[in-house]
Amino acid sequence: MKGNNNKVYRHTKLEIAIHWLTAVSGIALIISGLGEMPMYKRYNITKLPFLSFLGSYEINLVIHYLFASLFIFAVFFHIVYHLRRKELSLLPKKGDLKESYLVLKAIIKGEKEPPHEKFLAEQRLAYVAIGSVSLVLIITGLIKTYKNIGPVVLNPDFLMIVTLVHTVFTMFFIILFVLHIGAFIVKDNRELLKSMFTGYVKYEYAKRRHPKWIEQIEKTSK
Amino acid sequence: MEIKLTRRKFLLTAGTIAVANLLPPPVDSEAMVSSNSFATLIDLTKCDGCKNYSVPLCVSACKEANRDKFPEPDRKMLKPYWPQKFFDDWSSKRDVIDRLTPYNWIFVQRIKINKEGKEEEIFVPRRCMHCDNPPCAKLCPFGVNKKHPEGPVTIDCKLCFGGAKCKDVCPWGVPQRQAGVGVYTYLDPLPVGGGVMYKCDLCFDRVKKGQNPVCVNKCPKNAISFGRREEIFAKADLLAREKKLYIYGKEENGGTSTLYLSPVTFEELDKAVLQENKEKKQVMRFHKPKNMLDKYKNLAKLILLSPFVAIISAFISAKKVNRED
Repeated sequence: MKGNNNKVYRHTKLEIAIHWLTAVSGIALIISGLGEMPMYKRYNITKLPFLSFLGSYEINLVIHYLFASLFIFAVFFHIVYHLRRKELSLLPKKGDLKESYLVLKAIIKGEKEPPHEKFLAEQRLAYVAIGSVSLVLIITGLIKTYKNIGPVVLNPDFLMIVTLVHTVFTMFFIILFVLHIGAFIVKDNRELLKSMFTGYVKYEYAKRRHPKWIEQIEKTSK
Repeated sequence: MEIKLTRRKFLLTAGTIAVANLLPPPVDSEAMVSSNSFATLIDLTKCDGCKNYSVPLCVSACKEANRDKFPEPDRKMLKPYWPQKFFDDWSSKRDVIDRLTPYNWIFVQRIKINKEGKEEEIFVPRRCMHCDNPPCAKLCPFGVNKKHPEGPVTIDCKLCFGGAKCKDVCPWGVPQRQAGVGVYTYLDPLPVGGGVMYKCDLCFDRVKKGQNPVCVNKCPKNAISFGRREEIFAKADLLAREKKLYIYGKEENGGTSTLYLSPVTFEELDKAVLQENKEKKQVMRFHKPKNMLDKYKNLAKLILLSPFVAIISAFISAKKVNRED
């Protein structure tokens, strides 16, 4: 087992870097994307200290462009890297829906959760949800960007659909992002947040909550 | 000589070819817009502002032709855009003809200039320039402001939310908002949207049938010519050369499909417009705006490149880690 001081190695430095690159660029994209809607001036957000720049469509466009390239890089890197490494433990498995329901029920009632693998069933489902929404945003975003390169005239009705899908999926992305952050209301999940900085989780925690994962590690290290 | 093709080399080459094919070549705007699309030429040496008429004929013809498209607001919805204290309502000022409004999509600007010590008046029919790379259409968050391959830029009034972004990003502030109409009224009392944006659609319905926009046909001085872009641009160049006139609209905001020909420079006209309208908040100028989208096109290209860079980097990194394992 990797790690020391009763800790279990959960994320590599590269995974942590890609996660935070996705997170930071995702947040910047939400802020600048909302800025491309005529709302910051309307709701007086621009009157708040240091936020007057949000009223500029041009500044928001530059921020959106810069962070979109980082976000797209992170997402594509993540997909290809883990496919090449055959690391697919974040993909949903049969029975994840039912297990998610049982976990949620256990958390709400304060009962014992079913034993987890490296990732929780709802983590795997949330991953696919946020991943699919991100891919839709990336594809529509790439089309929207392509038409901005110059006087490129695409079919206007097609562009309208692409634009609407991008706007609607942004709302889904925001909801999923809030749910992702909301998961840390559950005390046990905060150990996982720590691992997104350090790369490690406590052995006792992993043994108690993720016994299937520990079992697997111990089996392969023998 | 034998060339050894490694996987890395193959991926790099494939990625480069894919990117090279995806990105359009860096050409000027004129070349990217179909020469078969339509353009307008407005000759200011001919326009006299219809001095003998109470309303310039291009203006009255436009009002008449588009009467059915003008907004009929729901009076109950004529209220401030919360939390703001204002709302845009032109419904009681439908007769305004000295500026663009939701009820007036073309107006004639009267500009006094001093030519060789003598005061002269220049009359300029002003309306949407129907840009080649229009920020109003390309940055509309709902995609309802559309650039058509035929040239016109139109707004789908049934789906417009009236956020007025198009007006803010238009260097000439062309689209105008009317409150109390459009989809936002269905969402009341939610404080979203503000009405519908209106502007010249170049009589797109007529153009599709092979007819001219009404302002072109009604001009008694034949000051407005309309036709295929290539021909209109060639005509403008020829007249400018022969009569020593100045052209506006070819380069401004990255190129437009509306050209003006003037006997005086447009810098001079712009100066005069600003001088005459000092007190007005919004003036339609003859400045030289840079296209916001053109300014950042290299950043946009970076976005299109990023998937390829990511794929190549991920392949190399994964291979390295796999080897270490």
